[in-house]
Amino acid sequence: MTKILTKHFDEPNLHELETYRKFGGYEGLKKALGLKPGEVTAEVKKSNLRGLGGAGFSTGMKWETVPPKDKLPGPRYVVANADESEPGCFKDRVLITKSPHSILEGILIAAYAIGAEDGFIFIRGEYAVQYEILKKAIAEAEKAGLIGKNILESGFSCRISLMRGAGAYICGLDTALLETMEGKKAWPRQPPPFPTVRGLMNQPTVVNNVETLAMLPHILKDGGEAFAKVGVAKTGGTGVFSISGDVENPGIYEFPMGTPLRKMIEAAGGMKGGRALKCVIPGGASTPPLTASEIDVPMDFESLRGLGTFLGAGGVMVLDETRSMLETAHNIERFLAHESCGQCTPCREGSEWTTRILERLMSGQGVQEDFPNLQRVGENITGKVICALGDTVGMVVRGFMKKFPDDFSVKIPVKNGGQ
Amino acid sequence: MNAISSQEKNPKTAAFSPEEEKILDSWTKAYPHPIMGLLEAMRQVQTWHLCVRPEDEEYLADLFKTTRAHVHQIATFFPLFTQKKTGRKRIGLCHGLSCAMAGADKIAELLEKKLRVKEFETTPDGEFSWEEMECLGACEHAPALIVNEELKGKATENLINEIAA
Repeated sequence: MTKILTKHFDEPNLHELETYRKFGGYEGLKKALGLKPGEVTAEVKKSNLRGLGGAGFSTGMKWETVPPKDKLPGPRYVVANADESEPGCFKDRVLITKSPHSILEGILIAAYAIGAEDGFIFIRGEYAVQYEILKKAIAEAEKAGLIGKNILESGFSCRISLMRGAGAYICGLDTALLETMEGKKAWPRQPPPFPTVRGLMNQPTVVNNVETLAMLPHILKDGGEAFAKVGVAKTGGTGVFSISGDVENPGIYEFPMGTPLRKMIEAAGGMKGGRALKCVIPGGASTPPLTASEIDVPMDFESLRGLGTFLGAGGVMVLDETRSMLETAHNIERFLAHESCGQCTPCREGSEWTTRILERLMSGQGVQEDFPNLQRVGENITGKVICALGDTVGMVVRGFMKKFPDDFSVKIPVKNGGQ
Repeated sequence: MNAISSQEKNPKTAAFSPEEEKILDSWTKAYPHPIMGLLEAMRQVQTWHLCVRPEDEEYLADLFKTTRAHVHQIATFFPLFTQKKTGRKRIGLCHGLSCAMAGADKIAELLEKKLRVKEFETTPDGEFSWEEMECLGACEHAPALIVNEELKGKATENLINEIAA
């Protein structure tokens, strides 16, 4: 099984600089500093690396949209998105705990490629242990001359600072994250301009997920082509998947992109208690569900899109035959309603109403109109709001209704128009 | 300094000791732009006072050269910040999907029974408060909970008794 990021995770001291360097740490940075910035971006493009935080955008292409300095002068920034808050996702937490230096090295490589001298890690406030781990790793790297002025005598300088969130899921979205960093409430911006043109403090900013950044040292060290070969046609390399729910051994597992979902469930020890599989949420709570008959799908961005869902941030949640899909949809919609930032009316109101209708159906007091209403409300959110959170509010409930109609055929009391 | 002048205006708002003021001031210099330190400073205040009081908001507004309305917006948008005092031990129970599937509801009932306060309420001695939180990013250890900044997994009745002891 090809492993890239988690290969040495069994090493107890991998989080320390010395051990990290023993396994080739900061070699990728050294290699990058020997190239021209444009050549680094070209290598990353060759690797077919795509954003592993949810959106799946090509990393190299994202960097290319940073305007040249003569067109748009002033500082550039790199922000590592460690605001992992999607139910079902915990890979970033484990990555930071085990290998913080791979993230720092990735930030430095990205900063060099786009001409930034300031890097940030925005980490969710609840990851207190991971915050301390990163703080220590930054201090270690600074002492070794890997962060700061004139890194490895190359003339390239870059600082890395840490920032913490304060409990809002929406901060995981790049533009909401940037607003938060600027000391504002986390309301997503309406692009364009995209952050790579106008980001932090109105300056070009690359926001990449921590896992995406942690892949960069390997791409530079072993070459983009080798990385691309591991994955599938349009998505290079591996992904680190968080597997939880009704499996025997929940945890993080690294697989080449395009590995069938069935194999992932097997790797996580198979179904808990030998019960039958009913549903898999493939990319984290906000991605529409798959049925048990769909688990031979290769886990990559395109294949999942073909089934009406997304790879998201690789948060695989496995549900067995005992689970009610009505209750599951309710749990996720309740979460989205709570985390809706309130900026766009369809999402703010629609998520709340969707949750209430599902609650009413669960309590056995539903009315006949609840089903068309759920559809209609959903249709009126997706595509009509600024950010992806709103889009998913409409997609999740409709996804569950479509794939598990039996779970939604609950009894409607006669007085409410039922039979 | 701005912050001191606000205290002169209203002697009742002597919110912080000189040492605390120094710590808060350091957040205005931590990032390329002073305002970027606002959330961290507020986090510090929440830890000290177990809430963000109106006078704290006024102080932060002065310190970060912004309006009270802006600071209030931050204090009310993010779930970490509270207007009402939390317990010295603030317990957050995850009720995201994986934790709900692992029985988070039962843990919530246990917490309520053991602490004898409802969600978002604080015990009379000020020691504990509890609330349901959104995904804590520890789905493989479901059901997960967090006590102040300490993440705990596989919550059971024993763990609740231990925490509430």
